[in-house]
Amino acid sequence: MNGETILPYLIIVPLFGAFSMPIISLAGRKAREAWAVIISGITLLVGSAVFHSVYENGPMLYTLGAKSPFGKANFPVRIVWEVDLLSALMVLMVTLVAFLAVLYSLGYMKHDTGLDKYYTLILILELGMLGIAITGDLFNFYVFLEIMSIASYALVAFRNDTWEGIEAGIKYMFVGSIASSLVLLGIALLYGQYGTLTMGYLAVKIAQNPTVVAKVALAFFIAGLLFKSGASPVHMWLADAHPAAPSSISAMLSGLVIKIGGVYALARILFSIYGSSVNMKTVGWVIIIFACITLIVGNAMAVIQTDMKRLLAYSSVGQIGYILLGIGIGLAAYGSRTGDIALAGAIYHTFNHALMKALLFLIAGAVIHELGTRNLNELSGLAKTMPKTTFAFLIGAAAIVGLPPLNGFASKWLIYESSAMFNPILATIAVIGTAFCTAAYVRVLYTFFGKPSEKVMNARDPDATMLWPMIILALAIIVMGLFPWQISDKVMIPVAKALENQLGYIATLMGGA
Amino acid sequence: MNDFDMGVIVRTAARATIPLIGIFGAYVVMHGHLTPGGGFQGGATIAGAGILFLIAFGLGEMKKRYNKHLYSALEGVGGLVFLGAAMLGIGTAFFYNTLWHNGPFFNGKPGTLLSAGFLPIMNLAVGLKVFTGLVSALTAIALWRRWKS
Amino acid sequence: MIQFQFIVAFLMIALGIYAFLAKRNLLKLVLALNIIDSGIHLLLISLGYRMELNEVPTAPIYTGYETLKSPMVGPLPQALVLTSIVIGVCVLSLAVALTINAYRHYGTLDVRALRRLRG
Repeated sequence: MNGETILPYLIIVPLFGAFSMPIISLAGRKAREAWAVIISGITLLVGSAVFHSVYENGPMLYTLGAKSPFGKANFPVRIVWEVDLLSALMVLMVTLVAFLAVLYSLGYMKHDTGLDKYYTLILILELGMLGIAITGDLFNFYVFLEIMSIASYALVAFRNDTWEGIEAGIKYMFVGSIASSLVLLGIALLYGQYGTLTMGYLAVKIAQNPTVVAKVALAFFIAGLLFKSGASPVHMWLADAHPAAPSSISAMLSGLVIKIGGVYALARILFSIYGSSVNMKTVGWVIIIFACITLIVGNAMAVIQTDMKRLLAYSSVGQIGYILLGIGIGLAAYGSRTGDIALAGAIYHTFNHALMKALLFLIAGAVIHELGTRNLNELSGLAKTMPKTTFAFLIGAAAIVGLPPLNGFASKWLIYESSAMFNPILATIAVIGTAFCTAAYVRVLYTFFGKPSEKVMNARDPDATMLWPMIILALAIIVMGLFPWQISDKVMIPVAKALENQLGYIATLMGGA
Repeated sequence: MNDFDMGVIVRTAARATIPLIGIFGAYVVMHGHLTPGGGFQGGATIAGAGILFLIAFGLGEMKKRYNKHLYSALEGVGGLVFLGAAMLGIGTAFFYNTLWHNGPFFNGKPGTLLSAGFLPIMNLAVGLKVFTGLVSALTAIALWRRWKS
Repeated sequence: MIQFQFIVAFLMIALGIYAFLAKRNLLKLVLALNIIDSGIHLLLISLGYRMELNEVPTAPIYTGYETLKSPMVGPLPQALVLTSIVIGVCVLSLAVALTINAYRHYGTLDVRALRRLRG
């Protein structure tokens, strides 16, 4: 069974699950929960199969509605899905974390109502992210971006009986809609100038004739996608939206949505569509400047928070800064070894941060579930009564700070190394950011291991459906930490090279004639 | 007293126009592959009839006729039919229009009603989904209006 | 010839952004979002007319396109705009639902009141 035959099931399976959820729900609560777990489990299997196939056989092209993307014309006219190694890695990340989040919701959302809509929305969110990862058509990308965004607006405001969810949902929705409009405006300008929407063919057209309109469109794309990824001058919505959502959703938002809908899309547009047709040094430095601001502001704001989930959300802003720094250096030093290392570090950190931040948010959810509060001042001494949870938090925090035996170390090291090679000032900024990050997490751990207050004495470790996702994520972090350089050489460097290889991306599309 | 009723003139006019709007919407859905229009436009038109009913007859009457689970399930059915039509040609490609290329029906001469392969099926499914979805959304919004009393 | 439709489209986008920044009522903000979207839709639709029978590639029309020599409207932008309108309807209904909920919790539609989340 080759990769092309199973690729559409990546979309079909979650879509089928989401559409049949209202009907399955009529059979009762147990059927609905089992259905959600089965669907996301099958999606995980398909996602790993796609990754395996791409890793073995190279990038694949899937045309919707026909065998080849060329109609009677000599240029691609149909919607295509184009999966290279980076897309496949993102697919694997999304399906894994989404499956664990669904599993976790079984226990976590037990006391909520309207759960059929919750599971429908969570599957649609997963579907939107998978679509963004595999698509090779610009308007198709916009549609999936909006599917993902609308599902996440609704999920942030899911608990509509609290003012917090509503306020965060409204802020998120306005900012997100403006960002989507900017992206759509960029797409409209590109279509008007070049008359095609297929990413690979657009790359050819832009390389032949780089006009001012294309650069204006690029500015709109960068602005919109930086909004979506929560980069610093416009990160305020993120710090409101991610804490207000239910914790399983926070894990998906912080771990996946800002990366797929922001950073991945930005990297795809910058490298695969524009590539060398624009002045890469300038664009790279623009990204680097935003990355440095994001890195410092996010991590510094994390230190002063008293709300646990808000701290984690600001920490996400900071980590997005590292990823953007890697992408910016990869762009500014395009083609050199420094660029390769920076890009590999950025992609590696994307994957690692998805696991780490998902784990941390799931732990925050477990704490809220047990104690009903997320104020750090009231959580003193949690280590006594929730030992497994605290241990998992210890692993997650150590990984995100970048301690050597865990996976965060390798990815952060790649970013430090490349930034030191590129420009020592950037390396200094990155290390300062890490210092703030360490301070924030040490503060949380200090609280957890402190003197127990009477409020936490009744807390227990959560039950199996909530505990197992955390254990799986913690084990993945440890195991990935044992083989840092092997993973880096075998997976991340090839992924970075695949992203840099714009001609290969075009050849995959045009070669199928 | 039936709350938010618009009075006898509006009710009579609505009673006369609602079937016409529904038929026009059904026409737009059925001819989606031949004329400008299709599932979304027709479904929205039919939903307009539902909204006219809601406004003219009031929320109380609407609540009697509206079954949340039924509409939710019908919306799911619409989506599933769309997905099934898209999967008919999965042997060649997702969204491959096998009905149009190979038959056995909906493969008539272009421009006639029974042509265009899976497009009429998809238009019907989308029309169902849009109609049920919009009516559900509007009813939910109308229900929220009265949280205080 | 001056392309009036582009000027109008960008005017609409600018108007929407102005309303989004200057107005304080939640419902007006929702309308501002829709005006921005409408401007972009107008831009896309007018692109479909401008481009036909040029060198630039267009979406293929399988029946009768080869024999036609007069100017023709591209079908692809219309499909794009229709998709975008559907997405706009989704966002609009969600926005209205959230606005109603906000009024329930805050008792006002003024965005300046939505400032309880701080830090």
